[in-house]
Amino acid sequence: MFEVIGEKINGTRKSVGTAVVERDTELIRSLAVRQAEAGASWIDVNAGTRSDREPEDLAWLVNTVQAVVDVPLCLDSANPEALAAAIGETTRTPLLNSISGEAWRLDSVLPLARDHGCPVIALALDADGIPSGTDGRMAVITRLVEATREAGIPDGHVYVDPLVMTISTDITSANVALATIAAIRSAFPQVHITAGLSNISFGLPARHLANRTFLTLAMAAGQDSAILDPLDGGLRATLIATELLLGRDRHCRTYTKAFRAGLLTPAST
Amino acid sequence: MTVELVEAIADMRDDEAVPLAERLLEEGTSPLDVLGACREAMGIVGQRFEEGEYFVPELILAGEMLREISELVKPLMEAAGDVTKHGRIVLGTVAGDIHDIGKDIVFFMLDVNGFEVHDLGVDVPVTTFVDKVRELQPQVLALSGFLTLSYDAMKETVSALADAGVRDGLKIMIGGGTVDEQVQAYAGADAFGSDAMAAVTLAKQWVGAA
Repeated sequence: MFEVIGEKINGTRKSVGTAVVERDTELIRSLAVRQAEAGASWIDVNAGTRSDREPEDLAWLVNTVQAVVDVPLCLDSANPEALAAAIGETTRTPLLNSISGEAWRLDSVLPLARDHGCPVIALALDADGIPSGTDGRMAVITRLVEATREAGIPDGHVYVDPLVMTISTDITSANVALATIAAIRSAFPQVHITAGLSNISFGLPARHLANRTFLTLAMAAGQDSAILDPLDGGLRATLIATELLLGRDRHCRTYTKAFRAGLLTPAST
Repeated sequence: MTVELVEAIADMRDDEAVPLAERLLEEGTSPLDVLGACREAMGIVGQRFEEGEYFVPELILAGEMLREISELVKPLMEAAGDVTKHGRIVLGTVAGDIHDIGKDIVFFMLDVNGFEVHDLGVDVPVTTFVDKVRELQPQVLALSGFLTLSYDAMKETVSALADAGVRDGLKIMIGGGTVDEQVQAYAGADAFGSDAMAAVTLAKQWVGAA
């Protein structure tokens, strides 16, 4: 099943950032409930605040969201202390976002995943940055999967993010991402492949169109998860149609059901 | 004739703009006038970008046209001895952050707009910024960062520059991801920008280049 990681509760968005600082429970809960109702498999929480207060803020987000939804959380921070503080508050095993090939991140976050039995997002970058081509990305990803296996984390708990770059500055960006997705799927059949979608269309008009078309291509290449806005009707319709076309919707049940629920109407396509 | 060049660049006709510049130079138009036309065109492109008519790919393409034309003009200007840069800028993504897309676009736009830009790369240690500012004595320092963690590194960089006695007279701009007035105040920077055009506008204001 395709897993949507709902991206709305991200403190780097202005309204959410303010809600975190002002402890606006209502706004956060509303975003959590709406994403859960829209079928998110995970709800990402990112406090987006300064590192000194981030542990406390992320823990508050965890408690605020858990009070109203039963969907597991995706704890989103580059700060190991914030992740540790937030894990302590979770009632369901969270997805950790994220590790990478950078030594400090691997050393600080991987033990958390191992000790708490958490699945983990693994970014295809290391201390030298983001490799520009598929071969370089695969070299980093291979090292990361070796590290998670060594830590006893099963491949099915690893969500590899091939890193989708912006196409407005490099016209090969989608090609590189799609080739990397196919290579991951072939080398590590059990891992999940997830990615943020919106990077691809940075700096372009009509971003929704580029984003959801890219989603279709990425799913065909083997991506089985995405960090996206579950409330985006066009994206949701595209997701349902693509699952159907890839033969994963028995008797077209989800598709026809979605149509009857009004999710495939022209307004959302 | 330079009007045609301005229009060709501003309208993204890259197949015409560069040959046109070449012809103008051959026919005796002064290199400074050709560069002036480029600058005027970049102003139009920047305005169209700000108004939402143009997008990042057009900024990049305009920059590439400008770079090609600069290559044509440079030897002539060097022969005439009138190569001048607007001012010197040191640029880098702060410690702990390896995001480079935004920084690279800013580098490109400052470079093609006539600034002498020194790119220190990504994950730049505080001490490297201090050393380079001391060595190069730029008018402007541009700090980039996408992660929220980078705000702390920006703050540390700015205060280290003050401690080292090289903060006075230096204008510091920050940019990337979600920086705003609050981050600017937190970091102790002089201004922030939301896109590459903002970086160019700020730099021009600061060094007094029109």
